Amino acid sequence: MKNIIYITFIALSFISCDDYLDIEPVGQVIPESVDEYRSFLTSAYSIAKDHKVLTTYRTDELALSSTALGVEQYEDLFIWNDDNPSPLTRVFPYASLYNTIFYTNHIINSEATIKGDLLEKEQLIGEAYALRAMQYFELVNLYAKPYNKSTANTDTAVPITIEYDAEKNYPVETVEAVYTLILNDIEQAEALLNIDKQDLGYNYRFSKVAIKAFKARVYLYQQEWQKAINAANEALAIHADLQNLNTDVSIMPSEYNAVESILALETIANFDMVNNTTISSDLVDAYNQTEDLRFSLYFNQNTDGSFSSNKSAETKFKISFRTAELHLIIAESLAELDEGDLAKEALIAFAENRYTVAGWDAFKTKVNALSGDSLTNEILEERRREFAIEGQRWNDLRRTTQPKLTKIFNGVIYTLQQNDTRYVIPFPSDAIINNPNL
Amino acid sequence: MRNLICLLIFIPSLLFAQQEKVIEGKVIDAKLQMPIVGASVYVSSAIIGNETNTKGVIQGSMLGTTTNFDGEFSLKIGTDIKFIMVSYMGYETEKVDVSSITGNISIALKESLESLQEVVLTGYQKIEKRKMTSAYAKVDMEDINQAGVASVDQMLVGQLAGVVIQPTSGGPGAPAKISIRGTATLNGSSDPLWVLDGIPLEGNDIPQDFRDKDNIDNLQSYPIAGLNPEDIESITVLKDASATSIYGARAANGVIVVTSKKGKKGAMRVNVNANVFVTQKPDFSKLNLMDSSQKVDFELFLAGRSDLNYQQDRGGVARILNNYGEYNNYRDNGFASISTNAQNEINNLKNTNTNWGDELYQMAVNQQYGVSISGGNDNNDYYFSVGLFDEKGATKGTGQKRYNITLKDNFKINDKLKVGVALFGSQNKTSSYITGADAYTNPSYYARNANPYLQIKDENGNYVYDPDLVERSDLNLDYNILEERENTNYDLVSSSLKAIFDVDYQLNDDIHFTTQLGLQLDFDKTEKFSDEASYYTRKYEQRSQYLTGSGVSYYMPKGGIIQNWDADAFQYNWKTTANYNTSFNDIHELDVMLGTEFRRNDRTEIHAKGFGYNSNTLTTVPITDERALTNALFETYNKTYSENAYASFFGTASYTYNKKYTVFGSLRYDGSNLFGVNPKYRYLPIWSFAGSWNVYKEDFMDNMDAISDLKLRASYGVQGNIDKSTSPFVIGEYYNTSILPGVSEEIIRALNAPNGNLRWEKTTSSNIGLDLGLLNNKIYISGDYYSRKSTDLIGLRSVPLESGYNFINTNWATVSNDGFELSINTTNINTPNFKWTSGLNISHNKSIVDDIEIREEDFKPSLKGYSVNAIFAIKTAGLDSNGLPLFWKDGNKVSAVEFYNLEAGTNGSQLTREEHRNLYSYVGDGTPKFSGGFRNNFKYKQFDLRVLTNFNIKQTVKTTPSYNMALAQPGNNYNTDILKAGTGNYPALIGLNSPGFDTDLVYTWFNSSDDGQTYNDLDIWVKDISYLRVSSIKLSYAVAKSKLEKLNLSSLSFNIEGRNLFVVGTDYDGFFDPETYGSLYAQPIPRIISAGFNLSF
Repeated sequence: MKNIIYITFIALSFISCDDYLDIEPVGQVIPESVDEYRSFLTSAYSIAKDHKVLTTYRTDELALSSTALGVEQYEDLFIWNDDNPSPLTRVFPYASLYNTIFYTNHIINSEATIKGDLLEKEQLIGEAYALRAMQYFELVNLYAKPYNKSTANTDTAVPITIEYDAEKNYPVETVEAVYTLILNDIEQAEALLNIDKQDLGYNYRFSKVAIKAFKARVYLYQQEWQKAINAANEALAIHADLQNLNTDVSIMPSEYNAVESILALETIANFDMVNNTTISSDLVDAYNQTEDLRFSLYFNQNTDGSFSSNKSAETKFKISFRTAELHLIIAESLAELDEGDLAKEALIAFAENRYTVAGWDAFKTKVNALSGDSLTNEILEERRREFAIEGQRWNDLRRTTQPKLTKIFNGVIYTLQQNDTRYVIPFPSDAIINNPNL
Repeated sequence: MRNLICLLIFIPSLLFAQQEKVIEGKVIDAKLQMPIVGASVYVSSAIIGNETNTKGVIQGSMLGTTTNFDGEFSLKIGTDIKFIMVSYMGYETEKVDVSSITGNISIALKESLESLQEVVLTGYQKIEKRKMTSAYAKVDMEDINQAGVASVDQMLVGQLAGVVIQPTSGGPGAPAKISIRGTATLNGSSDPLWVLDGIPLEGNDIPQDFRDKDNIDNLQSYPIAGLNPEDIESITVLKDASATSIYGARAANGVIVVTSKKGKKGAMRVNVNANVFVTQKPDFSKLNLMDSSQKVDFELFLAGRSDLNYQQDRGGVARILNNYGEYNNYRDNGFASISTNAQNEINNLKNTNTNWGDELYQMAVNQQYGVSISGGNDNNDYYFSVGLFDEKGATKGTGQKRYNITLKDNFKINDKLKVGVALFGSQNKTSSYITGADAYTNPSYYARNANPYLQIKDENGNYVYDPDLVERSDLNLDYNILEERENTNYDLVSSSLKAIFDVDYQLNDDIHFTTQLGLQLDFDKTEKFSDEASYYTRKYEQRSQYLTGSGVSYYMPKGGIIQNWDADAFQYNWKTTANYNTSFNDIHELDVMLGTEFRRNDRTEIHAKGFGYNSNTLTTVPITDERALTNALFETYNKTYSENAYASFFGTASYTYNKKYTVFGSLRYDGSNLFGVNPKYRYLPIWSFAGSWNVYKEDFMDNMDAISDLKLRASYGVQGNIDKSTSPFVIGEYYNTSILPGVSEEIIRALNAPNGNLRWEKTTSSNIGLDLGLLNNKIYISGDYYSRKSTDLIGLRSVPLESGYNFINTNWATVSNDGFELSINTTNINTPNFKWTSGLNISHNKSIVDDIEIREEDFKPSLKGYSVNAIFAIKTAGLDSNGLPLFWKDGNKVSAVEFYNLEAGTNGSQLTREEHRNLYSYVGDGTPKFSGGFRNNFKYKQFDLRVLTNFNIKQTVKTTPSYNMALAQPGNNYNTDILKAGTGNYPALIGLNSPGFDTDLVYTWFNSSDDGQTYNDLDIWVKDISYLRVSSIKLSYAVAKSKLEKLNLSSLSFNIEGRNLFVVGTDYDGFFDPETYGSLYAQPIPRIISAGFNLSF
């Protein structure tokens, strides 16, 4: 009997308690390997990135009827009623952007401990930097004034978090600080990313070409014209294809599998937008309906004569960057740098892919007659036509002239004045409740 | 029989014996001089061994008998045997020299002093009551056993001070919600830990909200449900920290220790009990529903009012009027003006009375049987039993059938080593009705809403579908409750095996080791079946609807739906202790225990669904449509698996000085799965200390004759709990997603915000208690006052969104519970022919949420400063002249328009959530102020009468409104309260155009805009209730022993019992029972009359 007791005690001392208690629950994991972190990052990419649906309601691209289904959710966005919106109004995302940042922060800060192939790991961390930069870029363009070099140091933007901490204070940082972070992250990403172009279906992930395209847009918003041109050219060196609509209208150039696609990440339309709004007459009028090949591709005419967007909530319409933008960034930047001829050349070369032959001839004539501001305006108009319902318009309005907009809703005229403070979206109430510093 | 076996075994030694003799005698109580029935008279093997010096031959056998009803025995022994042993529980064992005795002897047994100091079983230790320092309550099963009750938890209602038990529903297998000394958590389970013979039982928690329509109809197995109450000897509830801390973190809500029966030394005893119990049909009239005549008149009233047009096409009257095209004519010109045919049809409706009570409820005759065989000797005791419990519920289609088998055997292998095995096996099948996502198909709910004139079957015996139970105005999926019952099934079969293996090794007089291995296996098989011809299936099919070019189509295959849930749970619990018990110099007593405990459990659940099920071929049809892939309702297979491990180390020490002063301390470290757990909290320390002073033993008490016992106790302890879902690490969970078309990827989603700062929830408890015996313990009073403070309770707190999260689990709330418990047991009359004893217990618990975060979007006020179960309501101030409710605001009576700040176009947004919260006032505590029970036992000659009651005093309950003033419609039946609308406090029925100032605004508000559903929170629906329920009256008759002897029986008794016969207290009109007051879904608590017998031989 004593032997049994001895054996029991000896056996017990051999079973380490920690081993006994070390149970990995099925379906749960603490990420360690690069593969696990890849799945973790995919999770961050998969968090809804659909705020551009809402900014589009604030632009001049849509018309909204007061009797449309579900109008309660959008009317206050549409008429820029930020002061006392209906509680049903769709709320701009804030938490989901920071949630994405949480994921990227965790990957970036775990660099030292991620196990696996070095190249895969660098690509992964590079993507995390790029995705983080992108989230801050979206935040600063939703909730802060557009970048203005002279005031960026004092203009308030959004809080910055680069590591998880629920206990600390989150004061708002300046626009300059946020842009500095964005450019830093882009630089890190450029150094780490090693895939030129992502394969189809995975092109929601950042690649070398995507980070360059992103950089070009950041510099464009900062009005760093030459840097924007350089970045755009770096991107075009990797991937420059444009879809010529004269030969191929089987697909829209913004679709994830079109030749122009560089990064297909953000959702730009939803069910209500497609079914319960129409395209504003302003936007419709911006096109030459017969000669501009984009018009019938982008829009669908309803029985009452109005138009609706063909770009929809389907995942194939996800888009963030495509080559067309690079060409237009170059044209715009050249115009701003007073390189009018080069700008016209770039614009006309691009337009060849968008207009019928006759239309292109007319466009050439029109553009060649322009100079100075009128040229810049035409380039911006071309941007408007090219990126209709792609979530670019609101930011383009903001970063350029912040023009006066007027809308009619339910028989009432609403106006967004030039340089209106409502070009900055107020922080959502859940953000303010949770962070008294906002 | 047993004697025969013993004799046979003993034969070899008898052969050696030269002679034998017969010893006859009588065993009596030394003090009372009364015969002792069932005392064991035996020859100890140890003595034989010593005396005959033939060790090995006879060891393990025993010769013995038990005394009969007159305390008499007769034992044939060898003449060489000099001593016989006489023992009986509660008495000191006598060794009687019989060497010179040949005839009759009288043996007087003295009451054992030890037994006066009864032993308390904590599951880890046996502690003598005199050394007990903590608060506990104990009840013997014998005292509370009731016929027709499947599970022991329901028998405990009102029996134990401080243990508040509320039945959740009257349905068979429905659990009782138990809370011991209030609630120490805000979002976790408050269920106590059940322990069976030392093994903590695993099982499902009882849902927090049992008024929820889905929870109440969900069949589940609970840890205690498989246990046969007949197998239980006693139940001990451990209440304060010093008693529960040895159980570790799981015991924060208290511990209920179940001690099962075991064989007693002596001859084999066979016990048979049988009961037939009749479950009465509930009194449907309690619901106060309108009858056909009232309902038709009500519909006529609505149809006559042009303003009350909400869903005006519904109901029998509207259908008749519309059929004849006379709706407007009736409304404008009255009943007399409509055609005679229409008049006749409407009058016919008045005379068609379907008694929904008869259709949905029944009287059921049920039965319950048990047989047990037990016995034992010096070296072995055994207890075997089988049981059958078969109950059909008062609600048709519900029932429970349980088979039990229990085998227990304890062996003494030698003087030092004892081994015990116990097996508890059961199969419990519970049946109920099927309910879907909607509450319609809950019979209790449907019975309230179905029109009294609605026929169930037409003249040809075909089902009549309820024309007023519609999904939308254009969609009726044909509901008939009989068809539904006929064509659907819902069963849970729980098979459970609990096995316990004990070893006790006595090293020497002071030191012994124990080890105990317990296994628990539970297999729960749930099956829901609905045939094609059922509302459930039709409704399910709707979820597979899709549009085609030519209309709508469904991808769900035609046929029935079969759904299975198989849960398979296993746990082992292995604990080992070393014990040192000693005393020196007669004044120092020391008890030390050290131990380890290892526990591991796993649980696999598989949920499978099949469509197009054919119950003859048992086959299903696969769904081929791709759309089904994204619809979770049509997921055909789902598996989950979880596993947990625990390792604990513990010790207790107790020191008693001079039998007067005892100090006690305990410490336990609990470790559990390490995955993701903050290393600093891997092992939780849980500790307590306590002391007691046996005042009665003091010299100065000698003169106080009235006091027969007096003891003071005090304890303090700390218990902890850690939230395992929160980790300092980023833990991910696997999912699948598709970001772009054609590519599906595995993703890892962060489970929770990492939080390295999370501290464990801590509950500190202190307890002071007093035990007082008066007049020779004829009056025995136990009182306890306790205070529990739970700090760092884990709850959701909002954090800056910039962190990446909205809410994290954090230590946020603090809850205090203070209360007292008092139990008084008295022997009121004690004469040879008549004895009357009573037991009263009462307890009071007050909880306060000292601190808590609430979500900004909450409609209701924060609990801060109020009870955990605080009820908030909107104070009304009667009605205005048009019957619209008035409200109190800043001391003034105001209209709804002012109170809610209503304006044209108001959609609920006119109030911020904070303003909304401020509309409410605290109106009372949902926990009863006092609760307890009162027990009386009367014994007159052969008759025994036992009356058990339990009571709750002042509990605030919010009931479900009997009607909504803006949603009343002719299609539903209602409580007759609606006939009083516009009088007293009952708001008038209104429509958009009803008379009154701004009635349209009030109508729109209560009809559709009131997102916070404040109508349900008006104080007119709140009520304080108090009640006393007579839960059992049992009369039994024990057949006189003189008559039994001829039949060779040792006892026979007959009993009749009435359960839940009546309730006195505040009225609970409109509901079946005060316990489920306000719940539309609860099944009535059954009233049961039973008759049975109990026979032993």
